[in-house]
Order: sequence, then C-alpha cells, then structure tokens
Amino acid sequence: MNETTIALPFLRTWAPFLYLYGVGGIIFFIGMFIIFKAKSINLSLKKHRQWFAILFFGYFYYLGMHFFLTYAALNW
Amino acid sequence: METAIQTSPIFWTIIIGYFVLILGFGSYFAKYNKTTSDFFFSGRRFSWWLITMSIVATGVGSHSFLKYSSKAFEHGFSSTMTYLNDWFFMPFFLFGWLPIVYYTRVKSIPDYFQKRFGSNVRILATIALLLYMIGYIAIGFLTMGKTLEPLLGWDLYTIIGVVAVIAGIYITFGGQTAVIFTDLAQGFILIFAGILIFIMGINFIGGFDIFWNSLPPDFKLPLAHFNQPPDFNFVGIFWQDGVAGSVGFLFMNQGLIMRFMATKSVHEGRKAAAFNVLFLLPISTIVVSNAGWIGKSISILTPEKWDAAIKLDHVFTYVASLITTSEVLFAFMIAAVAAALMSTVDTLINAVAAVVINDIYKPIVKDKDDKHYLKAAMIISAVTTVIGAGSVVFFASFPTLYQAHGFFHSTLTPPLVVAIFLGIFWKRYTTAAAISTFIGGAILIFIGGHYPATFIAPFDHGITMDIGHPYSYIRALYNTLACISVGVIVTFFTKSKTDAEIAGLTTWTLETARELFKGSKPNDRDGEKVKVSYKLIDSEPSELRFSQKAMELMAAEVGDLVYISDNRWWLGGLKSVHSTYGTPHNDEGVVYMTQDLWESGMFDERKLLLAEKEM
Repeated sequence: MNETTIALPFLRTWAPFLYLYGVGGIIFFIGMFIIFKAKSINLSLKKHRQWFAILFFGYFYYLGMHFFLTYAALNW
Repeated sequence: METAIQTSPIFWTIIIGYFVLILGFGSYFAKYNKTTSDFFFSGRRFSWWLITMSIVATGVGSHSFLKYSSKAFEHGFSSTMTYLNDWFFMPFFLFGWLPIVYYTRVKSIPDYFQKRFGSNVRILATIALLLYMIGYIAIGFLTMGKTLEPLLGWDLYTIIGVVAVIAGIYITFGGQTAVIFTDLAQGFILIFAGILIFIMGINFIGGFDIFWNSLPPDFKLPLAHFNQPPDFNFVGIFWQDGVAGSVGFLFMNQGLIMRFMATKSVHEGRKAAAFNVLFLLPISTIVVSNAGWIGKSISILTPEKWDAAIKLDHVFTYVASLITTSEVLFAFMIAAVAAALMSTVDTLINAVAAVVINDIYKPIVKDKDDKHYLKAAMIISAVTTVIGAGSVVFFASFPTLYQAHGFFHSTLTPPLVVAIFLGIFWKRYTTAAAISTFIGGAILIFIGGHYPATFIAPFDHGITMDIGHPYSYIRALYNTLACISVGVIVTFFTKSKTDAEIAGLTTWTLETARELFKGSKPNDRDGEKVKVSYKLIDSEPSELRFSQKAMELMAAEVGDLVYISDNRWWLGGLKSVHSTYGTPHNDEGVVYMTQDLWESGMFDERKLLLAEKEM
C-alpha cells in the first residue's frame, strides 16, 4: 500500500463500493425475490434456469469489476 | 480565452458526406413501412444482436461524449459510474416489464396505463412521457450545437436548426426500421471512434504505463467520493442515475421499449438487454469517457500543450483535435458524435410519434384507415423535431450538460417511474393511487424544489447544498420517496381492482399474459429450428403448414405460434414473419405458405427459410 492510499479517506475509497452493492444489492435481491415469488421466472424451464444463473452472475460480475478497479487504483 | 479549432474543406466534406450517407440509408428503409405497426415496431421481427447494437447507439447519446468527457477530465474514472450501475434492476425488467409490454401488445407506455388503470391515468402518463422525451430530444440537440460551436463559430441555435432538419427528414420517412438500421451502423461507428480516440490518445502520451502513472490514485478510483463535491458525488449520482435514471431508461423510455418490442420474441429481448448491460455498457463507458482521461494526462504531463481556458463541455472536441494526426480522422470522430446524436434523437422522435398517434390522435380521430395514421405519424415526427429543437432554451442555462441532464432525470422521471413500478409489481396499487402519484408527487417535487433545505436536506447523506443548483442529484431520492409515499398511502385507503380486471398486467399474472398473447395455453416444450424451402398455396386461414416430421422436431402442435425467417443470419430477421402452425402434411423439407405471409415476410425467391416454434 502506498502513501497516497493512506491519505485517502474511507468515504473516498471503499464507502461508495459498500453502499453501491449494499443498497443496490437490496434492490437486486428484492427483484429476484419478487420474480421468483410471482413465478414469472419458472425454474422448471431450462431457459429460465439459465436466466436465473445469468442474473446472479451479473450482480457478482459487476461487484468483482468494481472491487478490482478500486484495488488497482489504490495499489497499482 | 478559448482557442478556436481550425478546420478545412476536407473536414466539412467528410461531415457532410456522413450526413448524406445516413439520410440515404434511413430513407432506403422507408419501403419497409407498409403499416403503422411497421413504422413503430418493425413488425416484431428482429434478432437480439441487431437490437442490442442499435440500443448501444440509442443509449450512448451525443450528450454522453461531451458530458462524460467533461466529468472524466474533472473527476477521473468515476465518470464510468453511470454506465456500470444498471444491473440492480435487471430482474424487474427481464421478468417483469419486458414480458408484460410484449405479451399485452401495448402500443405505448400510456397504453399500458389505460389497460391497468383507465383513461385518466393514461392522460397523465401521456403528458409526463411527452415532457420527458421532448426534454431528452432538446438535450440531444443542445449537445450537437455545443459540439459544433467551437468548430463553426456559428450561433448555437442556427446549428441546432440545421441538425434538426437533417434528423427530421430520415426519421419522418424511415420509421422504426430506419431507426434500427441506422442505429446499428452508428453504434459500430461510435464505438470504433471512441476506441480509436483511446488508442491514439495513449499513443500521443507515450504508452499505457506513462498514462496510468501520470494520474493520481484519487483520479483512478471507479466511484466518486461518497458525498463531495455537490456537483459530482457518489451517493447523489447513485440515486439520480443508478435508480431514477436506470429505471427511467429501462422502464419509461418509450423509444427503448419500442426497440425491445421489435425483437422476434421475449427471449430475444432478454438476450439483447442482458448482453447490452453486461458487455456493451462497460465498453461504451470507456468510449464516452476516455477523451477526458487522456486530456487530464496530457494536461499533467505536457501542460504547455493544453489550453487551460478550455470549457468543460468542449473537452471532447479539444482532445480529439489535439491527438488526431490527420483532419480525416478528426472529422471521423466528430461524425461519431453526430452519429450518437442522430441515433438517440431519432429513437425518441419516433417514440413521441407513437405516443401522440396511439394516445392522443387515435382516440380523437377514430375509424380511419391505417394509411391515414401512417401519414399522420410522419407529420407528427416532423413537428416533434421542431418542438424538440425549440425546447433547447430550457436547458441552455445549466453550467454543464451533465448537470442539466442530472436535474432533468431527478425531476421528471420519479412520478412516472413509481407509477409504472408499483403498477407492475404491486397488485393492490389502485387507480386513485396512480393519479395521486402523478399529481401529489408532482406537487411534493415542486415544494421540495422550492424549499430544498427543509424537504431534501434530510435525505442529503451529508452533501453540501449548492445555493445555485441545490441538490441536483440527491433530489432524486426525495422525489422518488415522495411519489412512493403518496402512492402507498392512497392505495391503503382506496379499493383495488379484482384479479380478473388486471389479468396479465402485473408480474403476478404473467402466465395469463402469455396465454392471452397466444390465444391458448403456451407450449413450452424445447424444440429445434428447422430449415425449409417454401411452396405458395391458397388457403384460409393464413397459416404455415409444415411436414409431420418438422413439427415433431420443433416440438410444435397445431395452433402454436411460429416464427419463420430468411436463413441468412446476418439479415437479423429483416425478412421474416410470425404466424401459427396449420395442419401438417407429408412433403418433407417444405413449408406451405400463403401469398400474404410471403409478402409480409418480404422473402426472396429460392432462398431457404429457418423456422422455430415461438410458444
């Protein structure tokens, strides 16, 4: 970790990341719950099972991307 | 004093050549407009890849190049925030709104409100939607004016007038098919141009390592400071763009909705949306922002080459002129901004025409033939272009395009977005509550705007109030909560509709929507695609008849929905048609087709066709 990293406050570094995937995550998982509960996504269908996986993949894909970019900015 | 950018006749030949090419390209597709359905929805026929590429061009507006380049120059990689925060609402969109608009065959967003709540809510939704879309068109024209201002030295409004005439012509005659195909071409152009700027910029600086190491860590962080400064902070932009903007773009952008309705099936629409958000938005954000990053690096490494007086909204144009080694390349990049403008504005103009025809004109001027409505749609497209260009004056006073756009999203989208959202996902939500969301929400937004220290400050997350433009972004949180509160409270005191009255109109009754769309119970058995030649026959009703074996391969039954297209994948469904399966025959490898279906599909003689069961 370099000196500049230490100088940057938490509100500048990881707080936005945590807020984004915390509050954004609540919105996302409410959405997943509603479409599952409403049976608009039907897991007995092969295509819908694929979509279910893609939806989760998308959330963690973006989470991983922002984690990597934040880490790279602070350390590389 | 900002230095003027010098150009020669070569530059203008390329720019004018581009506009002529787009005009010709768009006008060519006028032949595909036989009905208003073709004009607005392109006959629901296209493949996902064609739609997703054209969505890129719609999403990346010309304002994107200018506003993100300016913010990227000021604040660094956090200019990417707005392109990388759309996934949270994808479950709601892919398995809520998208199938509902597709299966209920609504012609516009207000048409959905008519079905879900009745005509009063439709009128309110129509007003809100038209304000939103015309505002969006105005911002597009304003951007184009600001892009060309340092090059032309003309008056801003003269430039806007000229651009409006060109955009108006091809949209007026070409319709949705012209929009999709010109946007497809323009999507490729603007992505290529944006990446070219990045490569040339890195080369100009001396390599990626020099570029990366020239920038401070603060500049390289992908998310902005949590709540500082007032004109660019993470939490404000999360609520303004990540929530109000994302939902606004996905759920109430009539132009985008029409694009998804032009896909051949809901599954293809989902693929287009998911691919766009997962892969094309991360590329797009680099495309629109990188000129600002390159500019910052140049200003640090070689300050003598950088004009410190440059206006923020001119950073893109300035960097493009600085790093390009030839005027041809510079002209190409400016043409890409023009491409971005045209592709955003054309979609919205077509969408405004759809709303005006379906939600205002048809209810007043009833029982005319389709040709009459098609002609009216073209006239409305032209008038919309003029009104959009004239509305520029409302946004010209903001310090930057980014703030103008942020304020616009925060203020105009919440009532409509909340009404759509609660309408789709909450069966209990009532008609009276929807009306209250629009009227009560608008009143609370107005009050909040006038007394921000009292009403918006409790939600400000520590953001300092800028007296000139108070809470440009975080006001979206207050506005959204105000609209939700009104909608929820009124719902609990009023009577909701029965399940039968709203069958197929909420995410809780999607299966009913599918059944109504097909006309019988959907057949979800997995089948294969089948290649066939065709034989024209006379028959009533108009349907497609395959061999018994082909029916088994497609897992299809008589009465199921079928989609048949030209076998050449790269046409993306341009030559295709939807129909139903008729009784099978024993003629292997052949589909029996009526003349009207053949003409509607615009098929070529002697070309193989590809058939698949829709549901």
